Amino acid sequence: MVSNKNIFKVLVLISAFFLLLHKTEAQESFDSLKLKLPKHYFKTVIVLDAYRKPNQSISDTLDFLSKKLKSYGVNQFIFSLTTPLATFEHPVYDSTSAQKNTHLLLTANYMLLQPTFNGIPTHNLVKAGIGVRLIVNSGKKGIWFIDAAPFVTGDVSYSSSKPYYRMASTIVYSHNKSARFNWRIGITKSFMWGNRNYLPFIGLRFGRLDRTNLSIQFPRSISLNIPVNPKFTISFYTKPQGGMFNFSNHDSLYYIGSASSFHFTRYEINTGFRADVRVNDWFNFYVALGLSTKNNVTFYSEKANKEKRNTPYHTYFYNQNMKPTGFFNAGLVFKFGKTKSYYNNKNLYDAIDLNNTIDGGDNNTSNGNTQIPIESKNLKKQDLNLKSVQDLVDYNDF
Amino acid sequence: MKNALKILILTGLFCKPLSFIAQTDKDKVEALRITFIEKKLELGKNEADKFWPVYNEYNDKVKAIRKNLRQSFKRASDNISEKEAEDLQQLDLKSKQAEVDLHKLYSEKIKTIIGVKKLVKLRNAEDDFKREIINSIKEKSD
Repeated sequence: MVSNKNIFKVLVLISAFFLLLHKTEAQESFDSLKLKLPKHYFKTVIVLDAYRKPNQSISDTLDFLSKKLKSYGVNQFIFSLTTPLATFEHPVYDSTSAQKNTHLLLTANYMLLQPTFNGIPTHNLVKAGIGVRLIVNSGKKGIWFIDAAPFVTGDVSYSSSKPYYRMASTIVYSHNKSARFNWRIGITKSFMWGNRNYLPFIGLRFGRLDRTNLSIQFPRSISLNIPVNPKFTISFYTKPQGGMFNFSNHDSLYYIGSASSFHFTRYEINTGFRADVRVNDWFNFYVALGLSTKNNVTFYSEKANKEKRNTPYHTYFYNQNMKPTGFFNAGLVFKFGKTKSYYNNKNLYDAIDLNNTIDGGDNNTSNGNTQIPIESKNLKKQDLNLKSVQDLVDYNDF
Repeated sequence: MKNALKILILTGLFCKPLSFIAQTDKDKVEALRITFIEKKLELGKNEADKFWPVYNEYNDKVKAIRKNLRQSFKRASDNISEKEAEDLQQLDLKSKQAEVDLHKLYSEKIKTIIGVKKLVKLRNAEDDFKREIINSIKEKSD
């Protein structure tokens, strides 16, 4: 008697044979048309981000440096770019596994930071870097994300400051338990808390990425994202922001006068409201307002830095926590290039979310996740024009 | 820094009118179509994970064929030569053959993922969506 297992095997083999036969025929006739299809799933994205925190007086009246600095505020401008370099498809067409793919992306960023102290001239601190990231869609429920973002910082206002090299990096495994629930675990080396910390990366998301969701991504952000319609999303969020920079000792803030520069670190926790407007396929913009709390500024010497190059510093000559203040943030996002379709492909939505949540330059900015299409509930009459429905129209009759 | 903010605002203002000229709602219609099909098919989580990438791949290829054909015919002027007309007709036949071949191939692929019953449902869902769109256009023109 032939067992059920054997019958099943024969059926699978017959199906595979026909599938292969069809595949060859179909591929040949498609290839003969010499059509160019998009290569990647990720668009090239350019973000211009401006951030401002007004000056507030330093309340500590005892410290010599506090008296000298008088007040503290921040102006910040960021240019960032992410572009796909290569996409590798590992097609699987059976009932056991979904499509697998690997993505290699290039990231580049430039930041101009002006910590504004009223008591001294403005310093222009620059941070620039080029990095790579690898995103592996396992085809099952997991996505691997590996990012390396080396950068150089320097105080460009004074030539006495020498550039300083650092590297931020992140490895995360993201697991899509379902479209409505995702968890992430990993490790990140980041400077956004004003220190070179190796921190665990723990993420939880409740709700679909294309609908209202609550995303907790320690240590990067907590956000409640509400798509009002396919073109407009609002979010309430809290996130840290900061970094470590070289700072020229031109103003003799460091008491050892012979030191040409020292290290300046800052962080703050921003809590606020953000609105993202998807104008069209290639452009969106955002504005955010809120309260900046836990404002901290620390200065420490090159000697203290050298002694503990890869571990958090504990020795500093100035450390000050400021009162909460308001902040304003706005950005323009330009997206270029055609991509392969990924509608309802939850793994790719997650890959795009990882790419957007973890920005390339360790600046903790977000481009708004606008590459993920928001579910459309109904059509307005003005949406219907020839271009919008052309692909649906069959015109085979002649 | 204030200048940077000004440049940002000015760039935004410059882009805004341009963007509305360039805007099409193709993606919105496509997103609505996907939502419509998703609801009609009632796919399980595992089925959905496997189905959508294959279905998207199929759609990309069919759209590329149709777009190429559409543009080729559009480019053809009234005083087209005999040779050019022959080439166009060949392209038309080749494109339709390629579409049929792709349809066969992807029907098999999709069948192994969601089963033949849902494959039939998919076809019906696509037709229903087209009908809805046609009705909406009719309403618009009334």
